[in-house]
Amino acid sequence: MKASLTRLFTEDPLARLARGNPAFVKRYESEPDPFGFSLETYARWEPFFRFLFEDYFKVEVRGIENIPADGPGILVGNHSGLLPLDGAMISMAMTGQHRAPRRIRYLVTDWFFSLPGLADWVKETGQVRATLDNARKLLEMGELVGIYPEGIRGVGKPFRERYRVLDFHPGFVQLALATGTPLIPVATLGGDEIYPELTNLKSVANFLKMPFFPVTLTFPWLPFPLMLIPLPVRWMIHVHKPIKLDYPPEKASDRKLVLKLAREIQYEIQDDLNKMLRRRRFFFTGGAAEKLLDTEKEPNNNP
Amino acid sequence: MSQFLSNYRDFLKQSVKSDRYHGFDMRVLARVEPFLSFLFHDWWRVEMNGLEKLPRDGAALIVGNSGSFLPWPAFMLLYALMSSRQNPRRVHLVADLDWIKDERLHSFLLELGFVPFSSANMKRLFAKGELVALFPEGVPGLAKPYMGRDRLNVFDWVKLLPAVEEGVPIFPLATLGCDEAVPILTNMERTAKFLGLPAFPVTPFFPWLPFPLNLGSLPTKWHMSLIKPLTYEASQDRDELEECAMRQSQFAEGEIQAELNRLLRQQWRHHG
Repeated sequence: MKASLTRLFTEDPLARLARGNPAFVKRYESEPDPFGFSLETYARWEPFFRFLFEDYFKVEVRGIENIPADGPGILVGNHSGLLPLDGAMISMAMTGQHRAPRRIRYLVTDWFFSLPGLADWVKETGQVRATLDNARKLLEMGELVGIYPEGIRGVGKPFRERYRVLDFHPGFVQLALATGTPLIPVATLGGDEIYPELTNLKSVANFLKMPFFPVTLTFPWLPFPLMLIPLPVRWMIHVHKPIKLDYPPEKASDRKLVLKLAREIQYEIQDDLNKMLRRRRFFFTGGAAEKLLDTEKEPNNNP
Repeated sequence: MSQFLSNYRDFLKQSVKSDRYHGFDMRVLARVEPFLSFLFHDWWRVEMNGLEKLPRDGAALIVGNSGSFLPWPAFMLLYALMSSRQNPRRVHLVADLDWIKDERLHSFLLELGFVPFSSANMKRLFAKGELVALFPEGVPGLAKPYMGRDRLNVFDWVKLLPAVEEGVPIFPLATLGCDEAVPILTNMERTAKFLGLPAFPVTPFFPWLPFPLNLGSLPTKWHMSLIKPLTYEASQDRDELEECAMRQSQFAEGEIQAELNRLLRQQWRHHG
């Protein structure tokens, strides 16, 4: 224990990442990135998120093999948890459990880039400012793009609205149609309970120019690092099969079709969340793992 | 009875030639009407939206979410449609009735307008241009625990197949409040199996209180909203038809869930 801790603080982060995940480092070490991804910053922060992923939230991932090993793809998910840790958890699953570890480039709202310290960190860990041009460029480079079509509204859901998906903004379908990229829906359970938001103080948020100002059990009350400690909820991530849209790129301007496809994917994610919630016994323990894994049998159904 | 005749003249006129194959009886409906009216207006104060979207005549299918222990949403829909001023219509409530062993109860439900689910029954109704309502969650929807309130169970897409085959428009109906009306604490599956019932829910009232009281419910506020019909292209190919039915049932489920989420958000914003 002590030896591993000292190694954590003394070893060069890049060397450690290269030891733990050689395929990932090999893939990205030589490549210069126009959006400012830095393998070193990534390597420095990786153990922290790895700890959250493996030991704290004990994330259970299903269907990670549905993400293609190469080529572009758009990941679409439900957003949750005041700090958007859900994206980080999917990235961890992708780098740790996939046969071909890849980074996921999330499209991030402008607000993160208005904070001087945070902006660089967000860029260096691989996130990209959310514009249509950036997204197209990423897909041309053959990257995995992560989009949360609920936007920042989805992150600031109060606790009673947990796992109720807001209506998806249909931009991601337009992007997928125009570029001919497969869409990969991802349902994440657990993120909405790590910070139970009691209420959202809008006037304070407006004053501080924040997207929302949550009040949680710990948030404005405890001193700085303590107020950000999440509850140890068990997470479940379900990656669906990629959806290849069989439409010509001109259909991207067909508003009705785009909206319908966006709704279909939204409903699929909501349906999956409902199913996982029904199967879960209690949110700190998650229930027996084998029960969660079998998808065929539903409890309290017809005898 | 004469009061009923004058109050529901349009409804009677409209439903005089409707399908009575399974023994629908207007007199039974007339007897039950005051009770339904009390539930609709005073007990649950149902707010019904979007009924104007229904066509005046011709076949249509309403697909709704069920909840609350007894099929009350079905009865509320029945009452809302019969008492509507603009467009009174008779609705045929299609449900699985095979598990009901008690003959009196079975025939009572048939007299009120229930129809046993079968593909042939539904197709006959559509051919006659009738309005059919269906609650595809089935019995698991009725025994939904309170923890999972306002979250839909999976729709049984097979039940939508006859409608898709006939190319009938499908209207999703979202009902908010029915799950809180009777909070179901747990579903005792082994007892249900022992008694030969599809489910045995335990509510604050159910097995405890003496007979009529144990079917009681709480006076929650209900919102029902009818959503615009699903559009789809009917095809002749069997595989494509089944695919289409599956897709429509998934879409209807999503529409209802999204509408419930919207209504809930509205309510929460309103109250706090």
